[in-house]
Amino acid sequence: MNTTAIRKQMSIHPDVMDLLNNQIGMEMKASASYLAMASWCDQRELLNSKAFFYKQAEEEREHAMKIFTFINDNGGAAISPNVTNVNNDFESLRGIYETGLEQEIAVTESIFKIFKSARKEGDLITEVFLQWFISEQSEEEDTFRSIIDVFDLMEGMPLKMIDERLPKE
Amino acid sequence: MNLETNIQNSYQIRQSTFCKYVLVTPNKEIQLTFPQMLELRRKINGLTTINTLNKIINNENFVLLFVADKQHLIFLEIPQLLKLKEEIALFFLDFKPVLV
Ligand SMILES: [Fe+2]
Ligand SMILES: [Fe+2]
Repeated sequence: MNTTAIRKQMSIHPDVMDLLNNQIGMEMKASASYLAMASWCDQRELLNSKAFFYKQAEEEREHAMKIFTFINDNGGAAISPNVTNVNNDFESLRGIYETGLEQEIAVTESIFKIFKSARKEGDLITEVFLQWFISEQSEEEDTFRSIIDVFDLMEGMPLKMIDERLPKE
Repeated sequence: MNLETNIQNSYQIRQSTFCKYVLVTPNKEIQLTFPQMLELRRKINGLTTINTLNKIINNENFVLLFVADKQHLIFLEIPQLLKLKEEIALFFLDFKPVLV
């Protein structure tokens, strides 16, 4: 008997795969959301913020693709998600960063949920794969929190002056 | 509906060779590859959420479904749909992540 054929069809757990597919949707939604934020900043000549959100939009797409290829590489079926209800209407730059932080927190929680499910099902491959995402999320949240701190420190200053103090990525 | 017709009209999944599967329907047997099984699982799970089931029950009370890369069309009434969901869940139950 051909020993290589002993490999199972799919090396990740089917229920975990479903959660990973939801996560692809969440990352793509985050990407679309950051793109809307980038446009808002771009139209108002907030140069650092616009660069920051264009970069975020790209990074979120990369996250989605990382999960997408992971599912297929492990014998599962990655699903190209629907992205709907993207908000393009914002009231302030600070509000945008706060929404960004909320979005990141929701992603972190979702990753934790998948990690726990992988652990429960004994899906070690997904568990190891998700470790990168967990450190990434803690960095992302930290970035957003420090930016909101800058807003607190510079309260009352002109918007463009605040923008100049913010990171481009 | 009595139990006998229920069993006769139900859909079953069988493994034919190592990576070929068969969906046994009341009137034909459909060969499925593993990716086609995954797609069937996705469709059936999508059709059996509470909301979708409610919609089906309040409308035609059956679903038509393409399987095996759209080569076959199958007809499912609610009991068959639920039975097939179980079949599929059972099929995917034997997840053995650690390959020894
Ligand atoms: Fe992300
Ligand atoms: Fe992120």
